[in-house]
Amino acid sequence: MSGTILENLSGRKLTILVSTLLFSQLICFLIGGIFAPRPSSVQTILATICLDKPGSFNDTSIWIYPRGPKANCDVVTHEEMLKDKIRMANQLVFVFQMPLPREGMNLDYSRWQQNLIGILQTDIAYDPMTYNKPDTELTLDMRLAYRNKEDPDDGWKYYASSMEKRDLHCIADNHTDKYLYQCDTIPIFEMGSLHHDYYLLNIRVPVDDHMKMNLDIGFITDLHLSTIYQNGGFTKVWMSLKSTFFPLIVAVMIWFWHRVHLLQRKPVLLEYMLIYLGASLTFLNLPLEYLTLFFEMKFMLLLSDIRQGIFYAMLCSFWLVFAGEHMLIQESGERNSLKIYWRHLLAVITGCVSLFLFDICERGVQLRNPFYSIWVSRFGSKIAMTFIILGAISAAIYFLFLCYMVWKVFCNISIKRSVLPSMSKMRRLHYEGIIYRFKFLMLATLLCALLTIIGFILGQVTDSQWHWNENFELEFSSAFFTGVYGMWNIYIASMIILYAPSHKKWPNENDQTQENIMGEEIEFSNLPSDSNPSEISSLTQFARKTALD
Amino acid sequence: MDMLKLFYLLIMALCAYVNADAEKQSKQNRGRGSIWWGIAKAGEPNNISPVTPTHVYMDPAIHATLRRKQRRLARENPGILAAIAKGANMAIAECQHQFRNRRWNCSTRNFLQRGKNLFGKIVDRGCRETAFIYAITSAAVTHSIARACSEGSIESCTCDWSHQNEPPQASKSESVSDVRMWEWGGCSDNIVFGYKLAREFVDTGERGRSLREKMNLHNNEAGRVHVQSEMREECKCHGMSGSCSVKTCWMRLPNFRVIGDALKDRFDAAIRVQVNNNLKNNNENQIMRNNRRNNKNLANTNSETNSVHGRGQNQRKQNRYRFSLKPYNPDHKPPMMKDLVFFEQSPGFCEKNLRLGILGTHGRQCNDTSIGVDGCDLMCCGRGYRTQEVTVVERCACTFHWCCEIKKDLKSKIILKVADNVVLKVCATISY
Repeated sequence: MSGTILENLSGRKLTILVSTLLFSQLICFLIGGIFAPRPSSVQTILATICLDKPGSFNDTSIWIYPRGPKANCDVVTHEEMLKDKIRMANQLVFVFQMPLPREGMNLDYSRWQQNLIGILQTDIAYDPMTYNKPDTELTLDMRLAYRNKEDPDDGWKYYASSMEKRDLHCIADNHTDKYLYQCDTIPIFEMGSLHHDYYLLNIRVPVDDHMKMNLDIGFITDLHLSTIYQNGGFTKVWMSLKSTFFPLIVAVMIWFWHRVHLLQRKPVLLEYMLIYLGASLTFLNLPLEYLTLFFEMKFMLLLSDIRQGIFYAMLCSFWLVFAGEHMLIQESGERNSLKIYWRHLLAVITGCVSLFLFDICERGVQLRNPFYSIWVSRFGSKIAMTFIILGAISAAIYFLFLCYMVWKVFCNISIKRSVLPSMSKMRRLHYEGIIYRFKFLMLATLLCALLTIIGFILGQVTDSQWHWNENFELEFSSAFFTGVYGMWNIYIASMIILYAPSHKKWPNENDQTQENIMGEEIEFSNLPSDSNPSEISSLTQFARKTALD
Repeated sequence: MDMLKLFYLLIMALCAYVNADAEKQSKQNRGRGSIWWGIAKAGEPNNISPVTPTHVYMDPAIHATLRRKQRRLARENPGILAAIAKGANMAIAECQHQFRNRRWNCSTRNFLQRGKNLFGKIVDRGCRETAFIYAITSAAVTHSIARACSEGSIESCTCDWSHQNEPPQASKSESVSDVRMWEWGGCSDNIVFGYKLAREFVDTGERGRSLREKMNLHNNEAGRVHVQSEMREECKCHGMSGSCSVKTCWMRLPNFRVIGDALKDRFDAAIRVQVNNNLKNNNENQIMRNNRRNNKNLANTNSETNSVHGRGQNQRKQNRYRFSLKPYNPDHKPPMMKDLVFFEQSPGFCEKNLRLGILGTHGRQCNDTSIGVDGCDLMCCGRGYRTQEVTVVERCACTFHWCCEIKKDLKSKIILKVADNVVLKVCATISY
């Protein structure tokens, strides 16, 4: 009796199951590749340069915008700027009205587009009037407003504002007055929700001797804002995947828990781990994004990071515990608790906590000020680097630990293998069951990890070219995301199903003939001699068995 | 005998007349596609207000420089005339910058009244300089339209990827689907629209079969291709905690100076071509092949959908670009897509030549230490130079204050000018 479904499944059934899972995996991949558009799009907006209104430096109710019937932008051309001795410093506003019109239509942001990230590119020309330094600090006064369709044309409402400093790295091949600097892009804002229809960004570049602001920057001829938003189509496909997997995983978990409780024993650690893993996946699957269609949820970026973090932490812990539980070495009956794994899990916890703290420092603060970036200040970037390095070290320690444990399990397996023929039939089958289970998970995990890594590398390689050589038939980046997402769902669902306790004990006890009929299909036949229902977990069983040896 | 002589003379005269007429005709035809350059000086004679879209459109003088198709495009895409005017000015500035040290300095001083070519009569010759002018103006229009799209000053820029081979216009039925398109998968890059519209607008006059028209078409295309190929990729990681698990890339429109530099390099390596016997229906049709590659590159869509979309239009348009040019020197390689081509030697630019619209290098600034073209020997064509002293304002020692929280006495702006004397070398005005 006992064991999991995996051991008691016939080769044929297992083949059918595995091929079904692989097929659904392929479907997930193709859904992303064929139906979904790219995960995100970019719209590059060129700043309209307007003349500033007096008193705007401390009045955040002044909004300058260039399009619309009541547009109040007094456009300044480059020629006018060049004619001015001081390049009209402190008199200019760089205005971005998002999104841009297309096909004669005034487009608006859809709530399906989820989030918005802004990156600034500067066109800076050499200016004989100012001191030009290639590496300097840029101070920007940025103000963001929003408006909805039903609002009046000039009904811009305050969203956020900040005076931010950003490092500016430029290269100039030719230091003549006719040349422009090649400057790096500057990330300027990240918004976790795209709740409103229109956004307006007013950027001022204040020049001030007293506060040492923007004194060594050349002549800013243009500002380009690249806005990255998630594609609505991708969100829709993603949400439909989530909505499909969510009930499926919940159903599988309920079935699993029900089955565990049918046994007259307390669930073992591995079963707890499986249910925790299922729960963290369910949390990840929970289609919370539907709520963003109705409510403004600025914390969605942070939340999705946290959800992913919890899931990865759980997955890593599961692998550790799984390897530990299949050690085949028995240290009395203490196995059934997480406590003995605290040393192993410490790495996972440290890594996750440090990444969480980093995320809180970056995206947490962005809830209040979307222009904030931890990387700007020297102190902040040191802290951020500390967290990230800590995370990386814990990841490395974890990985080494895991490899060590897996290696130990394999050592034990080979030791046990050599003595297998001398064992009694019953014990041999038990050991074979454990080895089989372990190898199956190893294989599946390695396959999943390998596919993810290959997909990621492929994505990185093709990413650099897709803009001009894109294959229309398969959107690889989307296919990668849906494929990986589907893969881990399927992986965990199949783990929960296959590692659920088998029900094959009942026919054994009651009906001997039925067992004989099925005997041909069963790979690891049941053990009729064992009738202790409280010791169904083969693991605990082995603990005792080897202890007796 | 006398009668015969007279008759002969008569015939000769007639021939000469016909020839002259034909020449006149062809000369008019030559600049036909390029009269729109005059848009650069829109509103300049009377110096009214800065160029606004409505102003350019209303100006009858400007309107007259446009061909019927160009007027239609301007009507259907409000805002493009302002962008094209900006582009033309950008082209002039860039051309003058690139040629500031050469005997021919891309002067537009000859442009006096409507109908005359902006760059002067040099355009009537199929020489290198003309090739550069065509390429840089076409590139500037492409660049400027793409730029205007990202500024939002042309509202009819396309969003859909698949429309790129259809004539650009705003039609109501498509707009609804475009809004859906925008929500579903975002919009295509502005360069798609810029390229397409620039081709429609700039190439519209080059309809003939002469070598000159082929040369213009090729150089126009080369200019546009340069804009597209000089675009640089920028990427941003925005995955979990800002990691590169999600990365988005886009193409950045280059500074126009970069394009000007590239085209200047092509100018120096321009290829002289001659008439190919089978001008059309040639198998090794360079441009057409390149075109197709372009289109594919441009829109990121597969070419099959495109050909389904507008096959008739496509076919006709492709025919126009279906030609190959043969190098004058058979040992040279045939011109590639990005090469500039010409078929006539450049005239000397030393002396004033009114027939060719050349101003000469009299009074030009030169550099007595340089051994290049900007050196006084070469620039002044051996006529000698004189020295001139000019006062130049060098640097402003300004104090800036942005905020009013600072004490009042600091509030006023102080601007100091530091004057400096610079010695200039200028080519002698009189050569003997």
